Amino acid sequence: MHSTLTAIALNTFRETIRDRILYAFVLFAFLVTLLGLVLGSISVGQDIRILEDLGLFIISTIGGIIAVFVGTSLVYKEIDKRTIYLIFTKPISRWQFVVGKFLGLALCILSITFLMGVFLLGIIALFTTSTHHFAAMIASIGFIYLELLFVIALATFFSTFATPLMSVLFTIGLWLIAHVGDSLLLFGKISTNKAITIFCQIIYYALPDLAQLTRLRGHIMAHQLISTESILYLSIYIVGYLVILLTLATFITEQREFQ
Amino acid sequence: MTNGVIEISALVKDHVSPFLQKRVRVLDGLTLTVQQGQTFGLLGPNGAGKTTTIKLSLGLLKPTAGEVKVLDCPAGSKTALSRIGFLPENPYFYSYLTGWEFLDFFGQLFNLSTNQRKERAKELLEMVSLTDAAHKPIHKFSKGMLQRLGIAQCLINEPDVLFLDEPNSGLDPIGRKDIRNILLKLKQAGKTIFLNSHLLPDVNELCDQIGVLHKGKLIAGGKVASICPSGNYKDLEQFFFDVISSCDKQSQPKISSSS
Ligand SMILES: Nc1ncnc2c1ncn2[C@@H]1O[C@H](COP(=O)(O)OP(=O)(O)OP(=O)(O)O)[C@@H](O)[C@H]1O
Ligand SMILES: [Mg+2]
Repeated sequence: MHSTLTAIALNTFRETIRDRILYAFVLFAFLVTLLGLVLGSISVGQDIRILEDLGLFIISTIGGIIAVFVGTSLVYKEIDKRTIYLIFTKPISRWQFVVGKFLGLALCILSITFLMGVFLLGIIALFTTSTHHFAAMIASIGFIYLELLFVIALATFFSTFATPLMSVLFTIGLWLIAHVGDSLLLFGKISTNKAITIFCQIIYYALPDLAQLTRLRGHIMAHQLISTESILYLSIYIVGYLVILLTLATFITEQREFQ
Repeated sequence: MTNGVIEISALVKDHVSPFLQKRVRVLDGLTLTVQQGQTFGLLGPNGAGKTTTIKLSLGLLKPTAGEVKVLDCPAGSKTALSRIGFLPENPYFYSYLTGWEFLDFFGQLFNLSTNQRKERAKELLEMVSLTDAAHKPIHKFSKGMLQRLGIAQCLINEPDVLFLDEPNSGLDPIGRKDIRNILLKLKQAGKTIFLNSHLLPDVNELCDQIGVLHKGKLIAGGKVASICPSGNYKDLEQFFFDVISSCDKQSQPKISSSS
């Protein structure tokens, strides 16, 4: 059981990491960060903060793009190329397949986030040696990764039943909506229309409130103290959504026939 | 009478188109038994339902009615799958892997130890004469090499039962002979083999028993030895033409449509 999951995860990791397009994205991230460096040095006094914000933004965007595009094609490719016939005629469970795919991509995104993170920290190190800065950056990157895990799970979920194009649209759409879920909830509260109120509530609870993550990251970058509870709570909160999404994906895969 | 290794009883499969919910009957009450150690060849024109039969036997598709049992277990159960080897029609592989990695991956899905996998992979690559290409990426393989790798893949778990969908298609005469010899060896080793094929001379040489599937129905069958040369037919080809044409005559008695 254990070895099957690892095998599928590592195979997925190998598949994604051998894709050259990945390196184009990472290179792009490096270049834009360097561009930020140039811009940052123009606005004197502000440079580190601009660079930090820009760097984190790039990491989450590039990581997100890779998560969306690779994630949505993961399961679809296996069906399209019919390698699924070989997988599902081995004594494995469908959940092992789904979770293995998720973990493989999660590992790939982890490596990329790590790479981009190290690059960013290296640049920051040219300007400051304050450990506060580094601690804040590393914590922020950690929360970005947590959010990316949600994007990967969303993409994996859609790829079990939708075409890549549809999955990309759904994943990006829901990812964005999850960021404004709390505003939607507020909007629903002040709306006089009962249906809109309920609709906004449903959306808010169906998706994780990613604005919380953004707020937390803001606090971290402003060097405010963060309680362990809030970190723990947010992590469990996101992991809960991962479990739900992967369970649904498994359920769909179990029901499916493979033509 | 003992239970057969493969027991297909009153199997019906309808394909339902997703939008119009139109039903097409692909298999219509198929019943057949393959005994331990037998080599069974399922023949039939394109679209007869041969591949569908194999997919149902492996649990890739779910029957509309009837059932398939392999080794006394329901089709697609882990117990059955752990003792089955499957070669799909026109096998597709992970193009980013090398031949060796590919076999190793499937060995892991069967929970084989690292040493077992190494040994098996080496042995099998040698058996299908791919030792020199073992560390080449699969996207550089020719069709015949893919077919050989497919054969190696389906033997990684030392299966008792083999399902082979057109194992000898797309090969040059040498490749065909090689595969035929491999299959003969497996047959001598006492494996139960179920194969689909259009290459009747190969079927003649390999199979003990055949069945002819036409439009989802088993219209003829029997021991190869009693069909030709000792029977009324010169060879399997003549037998095949005869049963198909007499079946078509019966189903359309008078009206000859010109469409
Ligand atoms: N997903 C599907 N939806 C509808 N019909 C299908 C589907 N898959 C297969 N069929 C139909 O089922 C029939 C049997 O297909 P199958 O692949 O089993 O044939 P086959 O005997 O293996 O043919 P071949 O010799 O060409 O490989 C065909 O008429 C095909 O059109
Ligand atoms: Mg076929």
